[in-house]
Amino acid sequence: MNQRRDEILAKRAKLAELKRQRELRASQASARQSIDSNELISPTPGRADNRREIESLIDSLVRESRPVSVSTGANSPGRFGSRPNSVLSAGELSNENNSEFAIPANGQVVTPQPQILSTISSKIVYECPPSPVKEVFSYSKGVQTTETWPTPRHSRAFSESDIDEPPVTASPSKRLSRRERDREEELRENIRKEIEEELRAAKELVTDGVLKPSAAANFPARTLTAEELRAVTQSDEFMDFIDRSTKVIEKALDQEYDILTDYTLQVHDIDEDDEQSGNTGGKGRRKVKEIAQFYDERWSKKRMVSSIDFSPKFSELLLASYTKNPAAPHDPDGIVQVWNLHLHDRPEFVFHAQSDILTAKFSPFHPNLIIGGAYSGQVLLWDTRARSAPVQKTPLTGSGHTHPVYCVDIVGTQNANNIISCSTDGAVCGWSVDMLAQPQETLTLLTPPPAKAEDLAPTCMAFPQADPTFFLVGSEEGTIFPCHRYDRAGAKAGVDARVSYKGHAAPVMSVSFHPSRGPVDLGDLVLSASLDWSVKLWKVRAPAATSAVAATVSTGGAAGLGSALGGAGLLESAVSPLLDFVREDVVYDAAWSPVKPGVFGLVDGAGWLELWDITVETEEPVARISPSPRKDGRTMLSKSLNKLAWEPSEGKRLATGGIDGAVSVFEVGPDLGGKEGLKNEEWTSVKKLVNRLEAVGGNDGAGV
Amino acid sequence: MTDAVLTSGPDAFEETLGRLSKKAGVRATIVLDRASGAILKTSGQLSSIRNTKAPGSSMPAVGSFSSEASGNSASEDQGAEELASMVWKFVGTAGSLVQELDTEDEVKLLRLRTKKQEFVIVPDTKYLLVVVHDTSSA
Repeated sequence: MNQRRDEILAKRAKLAELKRQRELRASQASARQSIDSNELISPTPGRADNRREIESLIDSLVRESRPVSVSTGANSPGRFGSRPNSVLSAGELSNENNSEFAIPANGQVVTPQPQILSTISSKIVYECPPSPVKEVFSYSKGVQTTETWPTPRHSRAFSESDIDEPPVTASPSKRLSRRERDREEELRENIRKEIEEELRAAKELVTDGVLKPSAAANFPARTLTAEELRAVTQSDEFMDFIDRSTKVIEKALDQEYDILTDYTLQVHDIDEDDEQSGNTGGKGRRKVKEIAQFYDERWSKKRMVSSIDFSPKFSELLLASYTKNPAAPHDPDGIVQVWNLHLHDRPEFVFHAQSDILTAKFSPFHPNLIIGGAYSGQVLLWDTRARSAPVQKTPLTGSGHTHPVYCVDIVGTQNANNIISCSTDGAVCGWSVDMLAQPQETLTLLTPPPAKAEDLAPTCMAFPQADPTFFLVGSEEGTIFPCHRYDRAGAKAGVDARVSYKGHAAPVMSVSFHPSRGPVDLGDLVLSASLDWSVKLWKVRAPAATSAVAATVSTGGAAGLGSALGGAGLLESAVSPLLDFVREDVVYDAAWSPVKPGVFGLVDGAGWLELWDITVETEEPVARISPSPRKDGRTMLSKSLNKLAWEPSEGKRLATGGIDGAVSVFEVGPDLGGKEGLKNEEWTSVKKLVNRLEAVGGNDGAGV
Repeated sequence: MTDAVLTSGPDAFEETLGRLSKKAGVRATIVLDRASGAILKTSGQLSSIRNTKAPGSSMPAVGSFSSEASGNSASEDQGAEELASMVWKFVGTAGSLVQELDTEDEVKLLRLRTKKQEFVIVPDTKYLLVVVHDTSSA
């Protein structure tokens, strides 16, 4: 730091001198300039002589120092005099003007070479008439730019030198300043060397007795003063470094496998009882094992997990959104933490919001983007390349949501996708990822006519794999409604009045479409979880179903209920579930395995994660496990699990989170997840089961 | 990416390093200035690293240090400085190796495993962070 200060001082002195020189030069130049302008307008012979002398001198000098491209055949000063005077054109004049800074100011040698300047009055060669058509500019694309991205900072040395430099007015002086800078650089280098030598000498004097001079010689360590230390440790750059480097080191330390393991050595007590160690559930090929638990003292404390999502691009990353911490009013209410399976003790990223985050999701089309829905009704967008504040958010006005947003999704294709959000007042909005200032489409969901009240309070939303214009919403009253984003044949945009899925007696907490990536299309199977202590399996009608199809089905399904057969297209037909999984507690979430056709997981209010395989057993789960309790966790009412998410590409891991703020990741055995050993029979057996249930269901309906 | 606005700088810094040094097996952490080698922050028992150094163990230091066994009784500061100096030199050497192979390349991470411990060094453009930790089995 001292060294630096000395440098700066030296530089200041140097600059002052330079400034003085420049002022001198500037006064000369301005004097000349004024003459110059006078002359161009009305050449007075008396002064012109003097002027010409200077000019010729300048020209000769210029010619020596650099090739002139404007004039022809006048490369040497010797030939210069023989040239016709009238040839001296404006180009050369400007050339002279440009280079006057490069000429040493003291070179006032007089070499009389008379020249006469002549100027030609300007001639109009071509006149462009103004266009008769008035141009109309219009621009309709909007991009929200409320959040400014932090501009990359220059290093301090850079910006300082920029500031210290006297303001450079015109481009001609560039060359000078470069030369100047070079000289400065040289000077600085010298000073630095001197100081370093001094320091080294001092160091040797001080530590001679203790440290070996050889060790100290090329280690110019010196203790920083407290002030300097604080300055360094508080700089953003330093914080960034600490953040990045500690992450790297923690990942290095968290690496479980020891690459230096020598298997030829005597085997010490390697845990043979691996099967029993740790928190496991299920047996054999249907084992479930807890592999990680994520909790951050600073950010997870006293918050609840409101949603979990695995990154579609990086299978080791998962995000969890959290509600507010009532004990920390100064912390942001809502946060999203991105956890890394290779980094156990801290989140990879933390994102903030001013309101509780109720749902968050990685964009499937851009690995850096995360979307979220907030209690305030805002839809937020974060970028992992930016800081923790959202890069975009919807305004808190009436144009978007005014109620809590519990569900968001991104649907569409890589090149054309929209954020769809749904709030508890029944408003559904479609947003462009580029602009969250106002929704691109809005839709209000209303309960279809037979109901007493029109209001519909959606609690969850799900899109099928194939169709971005059709979705299901689970409502607070327990009915699941099919909805269309746009008008289509036979149905208006909004809730499809023809069909509803009735069966739950309490709010529906989740709806999950079957991922249907397999030889048999099972994309119409839907799981719903509800607070009525059950999970139900539904078969959803194709959204494009015409009224005829609806009518025929309604005769089958609703005949037993005594509905009129005629005009079924207008009449609401209630579809009952295919299968009912009754549990011992409220079920908060249920989700299909992304790879195994018959497997799904559910989490309940008692803190259990259950894994089901409907091809094996429809009465009880094939495996169940509860996350290991945190040591300092509360004992009462802290077990309930809110959310469940599968890792989408392999389907071997799933994460749960709940009321205690901890996110637990489990790995399932080969019969419950993973792509190897996937058999086509599994798909067909699910299909057969569904067909059988449908037949039974139809009979039941008729028999009631 | 903890936000510097919401968590005051030094706090977050202390917290991050504190958590790192609390991890199982971590014995010491040192933050150095890359250019000058000045010590910005240390934690853990730095002297213990030197103390455990029996002659002949593989430290990144040059031979001259083994003759310096008497210096072990020096203060903690002294120990930190020596260790910092050794690490700094080691990083410098590694850096020059990489530079000579490819001038556009740079060192991103150094892991130095010894029989008894491991040095994990993250060199950055302006700073470098060193963590010394026990290797559980070798």
